[in-house]
Amino acid sequence: MRLWKSWIVTRKDLSVFRKNKYVLYSLIAMPIILGVVLPIIFIFALNTQITSGELPREQVLAAVNQIVGLATMYFVLIPAILPSIIASYSFVGEKIEKSLEPLLATPTTDGELLLGKSLASFIPCMVVTYVGAAISAIIIDFWSITTPQIATIIIPNPYWLLVIGAIAPLACIMSVEANIIVSSKVNDIRAAQQLGGLVVLPLIFVVIFASTSAQLSTILALAVIIALAIADIALFYLSKATFQREEILTKWK
Amino acid sequence: MQGLIDTKDLTRKFDNLTAVDNLTLRVEDGEVFGFLGPNGAGKTTTVRMLCCLIGKTSGQATIGNYSIDKEEDCLKIRKMVGFLPENVGLYDSLSAYRNLDFYGQLYEVPEPKRKENIERLLKLLGIWERREDAAGTFSKGMKQKLAIARALIHDPQLLFLDEPTANLDPEASKTVRDFVIELKKEKRTIFINTHNLDEAERLCDRIAILKTKLVAVDSPKNLQRSLYNRKTIVHLDHISKDLVAAVEKLSVVKNIRTNDNKLILDIDTPEKDNPEVVRTIVKAGGNIQYVTELRSTLEDVYLKLIREASTQ
Repeated sequence: MRLWKSWIVTRKDLSVFRKNKYVLYSLIAMPIILGVVLPIIFIFALNTQITSGELPREQVLAAVNQIVGLATMYFVLIPAILPSIIASYSFVGEKIEKSLEPLLATPTTDGELLLGKSLASFIPCMVVTYVGAAISAIIIDFWSITTPQIATIIIPNPYWLLVIGAIAPLACIMSVEANIIVSSKVNDIRAAQQLGGLVVLPLIFVVIFASTSAQLSTILALAVIIALAIADIALFYLSKATFQREEILTKWK
Repeated sequence: MQGLIDTKDLTRKFDNLTAVDNLTLRVEDGEVFGFLGPNGAGKTTTVRMLCCLIGKTSGQATIGNYSIDKEEDCLKIRKMVGFLPENVGLYDSLSAYRNLDFYGQLYEVPEPKRKENIERLLKLLGIWERREDAAGTFSKGMKQKLAIARALIHDPQLLFLDEPTANLDPEASKTVRDFVIELKKEKRTIFINTHNLDEAERLCDRIAILKTKLVAVDSPKNLQRSLYNRKTIVHLDHISKDLVAAVEKLSVVKNIRTNDNKLILDIDTPEKDNPEVVRTIVKAGGNIQYVTELRSTLEDVYLKLIREASTQ
């Protein structure tokens, strides 16, 4: 497989997405709501209780840990959910623009094409996830430092690093591959997104389990990460096996 | 001796439907080959098989020395052919330049050559000034031109054009046709699927007529001659029975009909035999106003062959 060929497809897809406002707004909205707006609301609620002197320090720290846990979980959910917007569009979008036939006529293998499409979905999803996570971390840390009962930096911590650094990208890859399989099998963007959404549901349980296990033990977390990585590789090969040029060209309406 | 395209008993079935049935043909290097047939005749399926986009059910086909059966050969075939599908399929949100650049990269054209080719093709097709405009803002004709440029971005040895002028206005059609004529001068092998008989007649060295099976293949001129006798029409001021009798006696005249003051004669080689016919008419007292030739059109040939193929 020639990676540079995949990268050509990736760059083209990124250029197309950049010019699609629907995709852009959808990408940005979720990290802002889940990663920035919700933590601010929680902090605001907690702050009201702290300033009124209702909560002792232990309870404040427990509440803060809960906020951090939730914010971290959101940033695993985001890369699992967002690919249903982009990846589901990947082949169906080409089919809608009728650009798939000339693309398939180029000397590019199925694997190169699928990897290029996967990267084009993975990169923007992870970029917005990391930007959202960074902003969320800054908001939480600013608040924790300036709150006398806490007065310390909370993020990054080992759990946050493990989840954001390993589980989030693996969850994203899993979702991208699942959505690409769906996208290459259906012939309508709405069907692709609806089915993509359905495919994401079991993934959400998987990543919640993975994130929770990461909180419990480092060894368990590593085992989960390895399992996710193996599942990702298996899904990529499954997407390659299920990608049928002929079916796409002759059976799609 | 091998042609650039060779097929032998190439067949493609979709479930119970046979789209292409035992197609055997050869296209020589440098030839402009027209593929004519009604909708659903199997033209696009044939091109898709030859471009390794879909598989065959049975038979063989080679492009150059490469077989469409082998996975590794398919990549080489795709690299050596340019393909203009029926639907142009451009990326509407990307600029004309970016569209070509993307395909140039996929066809592995080195950057300096890619830039040179993009500039040359866009200038040749008259869209260089609009190279930075999104393809979605282009008219149908301009999009078609851009799609042709895309098919040529890697200087392919063989070009497949699927309905290159379908849905274009006469001016855009002419531009595309003129461009194909230019390509013909460059001795490229061009395989054109078309419904447009006039276009096929003007552009193609040889024409194949397909209706699932190959119905006929020859040069446009030979196809016309093989199916209909050549006719000489002699316009006279009046026709007498003696004059008709005199002409009938000529062995070169295969058949004779009259229509008003016209004699319609079937003659195999009018270039050679018309002088004798004219002398005979004048000798029989006929006053000739002028002599013309009635040629059958490719349309006549096409319709006749397709009707015959349908009744078989």
